[in-house]
Amino acid sequence: MKPAPFTYARPADWPAALALLAEGARPVAGGQSLGPMLNLRLALPERVADLRHLPGYAGVSMQGETVRIGAGTTHAAIEDGVVPGRLGEILAGVARRIAYRPVRNRGTIGGSFAHADPAADWCAVLPALPGHAIALGPEGERRIPLAEFVLGVFETALRGDELLRAIELSALPPATHFGHWKFCRKPGEFSKATACVLATPGAAPTAVLAALDAAPLVIADASALLADPTAEAARLVATLALEDPWRAALARTALRHAAEAAR
Amino acid sequence: MTATISKGVGASLRRKEDARFLHGRGRYVGDIRPAGTLEVAFLRSPVAHARLLGVQKPTGLVFTAADLPEIRPIRANSTLPGFRASDQPALAVGKLRHVGEPIAACVAPTRAEAEDLAAACVLDYQALPVIADMLAARAPGAALIHEHWPDNAFLETRRDEDLTDLDAVAAAKVTRRLRTARQHMAPLEGRGVLAEWDPRLEQLVVTTAAQMPHVTKTGLAECLGLDEGQVRVVAPDVGGGFGYKGILLAEELVCAALAIRLGRPVRWLEDRLEQLTANANCREHFYEVTAWADAHGKLLGVEVDATVDAGAYSLYPFSACLEAAQIGSIFPGPYTLPRFRFRTVSACTNKPPILPYRGVARTGVCYAMETTLDALARQLGISAQAIRAANLVPPEAMPYRNLVGKVFDSGDYPEALRRAVAAVDVAAVRARQAAGEAVGFGLSVFCEQGAHGTSVYHGWGIPFVPGFEQAQARFTPDGVLELRVGLHSHGQGLETTLAQVAHEILGVDPARVRLVHGDTALTPYSTGTWGSRAMVMAGGAVAEACRQLGERALAIGAALLQTDRASVRLVAGQVVAGDAAVSLDQVARTWFRSPQNLPANVDRGGLEVTAGYRPDPDTGTHSYAAHAVVAKVCTETGMVTLEQYVIVEDGGVLVNPMIVDGQVLGGVAQGIGTALYEEMPFDSEAQPLAGTLADYLLPGATEVPDIRIEHMETPSPWTRFGQKGLGESGAIGPPGAIVNAINDALAPLGAELLDLPATPARVLAALAKAGRA
Amino acid sequence: MSITLTVNGTPATVAAEPRTHLADLLRGELLLTGTHLGCEHGVCGACTVEVDGAPARSCLIHAGACDGASVRTIEGFGEDAVMVALRESFSAEHALQCGYCTPGMLVVARDIVLRLPDADEARVREELAGNLCRCTGYRGIVRAILGVLASRRGAAS
Repeated sequence: MKPAPFTYARPADWPAALALLAEGARPVAGGQSLGPMLNLRLALPERVADLRHLPGYAGVSMQGETVRIGAGTTHAAIEDGVVPGRLGEILAGVARRIAYRPVRNRGTIGGSFAHADPAADWCAVLPALPGHAIALGPEGERRIPLAEFVLGVFETALRGDELLRAIELSALPPATHFGHWKFCRKPGEFSKATACVLATPGAAPTAVLAALDAAPLVIADASALLADPTAEAARLVATLALEDPWRAALARTALRHAAEAAR
Repeated sequence: MTATISKGVGASLRRKEDARFLHGRGRYVGDIRPAGTLEVAFLRSPVAHARLLGVQKPTGLVFTAADLPEIRPIRANSTLPGFRASDQPALAVGKLRHVGEPIAACVAPTRAEAEDLAAACVLDYQALPVIADMLAARAPGAALIHEHWPDNAFLETRRDEDLTDLDAVAAAKVTRRLRTARQHMAPLEGRGVLAEWDPRLEQLVVTTAAQMPHVTKTGLAECLGLDEGQVRVVAPDVGGGFGYKGILLAEELVCAALAIRLGRPVRWLEDRLEQLTANANCREHFYEVTAWADAHGKLLGVEVDATVDAGAYSLYPFSACLEAAQIGSIFPGPYTLPRFRFRTVSACTNKPPILPYRGVARTGVCYAMETTLDALARQLGISAQAIRAANLVPPEAMPYRNLVGKVFDSGDYPEALRRAVAAVDVAAVRARQAAGEAVGFGLSVFCEQGAHGTSVYHGWGIPFVPGFEQAQARFTPDGVLELRVGLHSHGQGLETTLAQVAHEILGVDPARVRLVHGDTALTPYSTGTWGSRAMVMAGGAVAEACRQLGERALAIGAALLQTDRASVRLVAGQVVAGDAAVSLDQVARTWFRSPQNLPANVDRGGLEVTAGYRPDPDTGTHSYAAHAVVAKVCTETGMVTLEQYVIVEDGGVLVNPMIVDGQVLGGVAQGIGTALYEEMPFDSEAQPLAGTLADYLLPGATEVPDIRIEHMETPSPWTRFGQKGLGESGAIGPPGAIVNAINDALAPLGAELLDLPATPARVLAALAKAGRA
Repeated sequence: MSITLTVNGTPATVAAEPRTHLADLLRGELLLTGTHLGCEHGVCGACTVEVDGAPARSCLIHAGACDGASVRTIEGFGEDAVMVALRESFSAEHALQCGYCTPGMLVVARDIVLRLPDADEARVREELAGNLCRCTGYRGIVRAILGVLASRRGAAS
């Protein structure tokens, strides 16, 4: 189970990275999703561009009430509290349940989000948070609302000539409630249903239902879900017309648990 | 004598093999790469059934069957009447019969380049109708997998007895249709082969991850037209077997033929993708069971119609019908069944051929029998304990011969049941149920025939019948005791336990005992490690070899002490006469280096003995156990959580209790996989749908609860120390006990689960069928 | 391509195809065969080594990404106090059978002991979820790690 041949490039700066992208190179961050696909020959890139050494790719900075998380920040760093405040607590809780620690030590928030595996945790959580994905293209940075970033299975709003550079999030007040629930038969298994609900004081609660083998369902105003989790979860899932009754049951359960935890 | 207590039979001695593994110094096939080694990747069939029309090869070393005519097909024929023979070609000839069947060997300096070659091959084939299911295989008009057969059955076996009169007298009758999933044994290390040709000795040396190196050697010689002296098989450290490595591999034959042809070392290391997609090869059974009982739960009769999905070929050496043939003889389990009718079918399908996995057919049989018993108990309104107590073989009947001729050696089966039930607070489970919680209590009781010998395997018709197990014991000139056995230790800790046996007999410190195993050039012939036989068979053989070696040492020691044989005895590694003593080291030194001091009448065999052993009778030991489980079911998601797991186990005299617990715990983890997680799904075209361990779920540390084990130690009357084989037992009981607990939890909701594994989706489907989800 | 990295404290320069993963590099080029391959897709954990001070899957890091990295394999822990304690505890608790998963298990176990000194049984099991063992049923492994954690807590108090 060895990859097909490819060449490797390590761009030293962002323009070089964008140039490689323009030449058709496949960008890779921690490689925890692409790595297995390479080994299984499910991905057959001719060239791989390793983004990990780009300046500012990893790390967290604060600009007023905005937290900027470099796309190359690892899940483990987030788990260990690199993001401050209530937002950091919420993200740390999500990060801890991604795959396994040795994977989290390499895997990155940006790599995972841009890969857009429907079962991925960040694809189920970030769309509920106030903020933007910062894309960098030949014309400079573009801000994509997080709720609009994931478009489908392995499909995002990134254009072919853009790289995901950072995630910008609004800091959250300490009284923010957050619920996150996913169904895995064992830790690290691809989730079969993930939901999260964010209730920030003074703002409409938001929710996401993901791991649907489709784009996540983003609920911009989840007030009804918070008011009556069981009934509203059932109503929301019914609108999806999922074929598999088990997956539908899991989706309802995920929404209900997430909502109850966020109350 | 303290030394004997702390290091001999019965001691939880730490393992001698641990140090190398803890430092990363284990040596597995994949760790060995002689200079000039060529790597092989196999082009494998992408379809389950097709006529193979041709292979367009890229430039490079690519070999099809036509290029390697020196390899004869693998034949594993059962001697049972009616068995239909089929040849398994090492590389496909004419037809493709399952996804993953090897078609061509692609050879290159690195595995990656070999895979490039495989990817560049173009296959020409004509698809044929696919038999993806064992029941469909038997349907009239089904496509034939082996066209010279009249239908798709390797073998059908029967025991006819008319049970229809039981309808009139039974207080309860149940019929259940049950399925177990196709699994993969999934040792952490895959298979691997390194073949080299030694021109000096004109010998083929095959280093391979094998449980039975001598059988592999015989098979290699047969299929390559070599004499057995021209083949040496080395099994180095092996990263888990569980049955997966108890086979002659097509890949071994191909690598061997290539090594001879190319004059270079040739290596193939199986990867997880090919392992899962080409070789998911065990456990898939279907049962239709009908059982009748009286009002007390006493079984009046059982009828079972069992089908085993045996896959496309008959594998060497166990053949395609070992499982089905076993089902007929072991279905009565630990119970005194008065009447029994069965039919078994080994169905041929377009799936990988089956191999016996830890527990072999017992896991499926135990599942079918134990869930049927609970169904009867529910119908009768009696407890799961009561129905088992009414049917278990009582201790006073031991040794007991059941209606199909199985002979149980010893034990108190009802006591194991009582202790298992007593270890769980069943009343608390009932109280939670009364409060509406979906929690349940489940039991399974079973026995495991192990170390069964010549008569049993001959009866099952397999082409490799074990005889006397041999061991060699010898002193080196410095007094180290070297033991040589032909079977193989790949996790079982035989380097430690056989040293304990030697210590028990000779008093030599286990630190001064070395075990040589896994090399046919250095060890006596053995049918290998399988069938829970190693500790009984090799333990007995080592004990006998050491006893005879001790006799020779005593004779020399007596001479050195200037006394007679009758006046000396072995104590703690010394020959002792009164206050005088001479160490075994001195005895060894005398034989090898100071023979002038030997007595005139010394045994000229020297300090080297080969002895054979077989229990008498050789019908096998029966370890047995009761498993008790408390499981909670989430009726919303279908998720099952094991809250409590208790095992009461009787493996006779335990040579090393720590290692025994390890075997039981490891087996239970695999049984939990069978019960709840592991399943290779196939689509209607027999395409395997799980290619990674993210899809084929193996239990991890979070899925296996902290298991409590209690031991009973009823010696087997027929073995050297009273020990019994129990290496497989842990994997037998869990599906029955766990699903019984699930069904106990679901019973108030009117739901019942029948198929394995009990996945959340199946639990919810069962609830939906009962109108409760 | 030419790769320079530090392995077990010693600088090494090796030639490798970019598609070669770190595990094959260690095993094939540097003859450090204590790192085992179990799945090559990141699930089983057998190939876990320390990369730049933290456990990582060596099957998922291809050659280019290794350039400049510092790697420690099972062969490189020497007399490291935690590893010595774990080896002792693994043997005492019969936490290994065939030995194939053991190197990856030990690398992760050491990380648990150092990173989560207060871990209880449930947390240890959760942290071990990415390392499969097909032989032991995990009880010995869990107990071995809990034992080392307990003795370190005892020594600290």
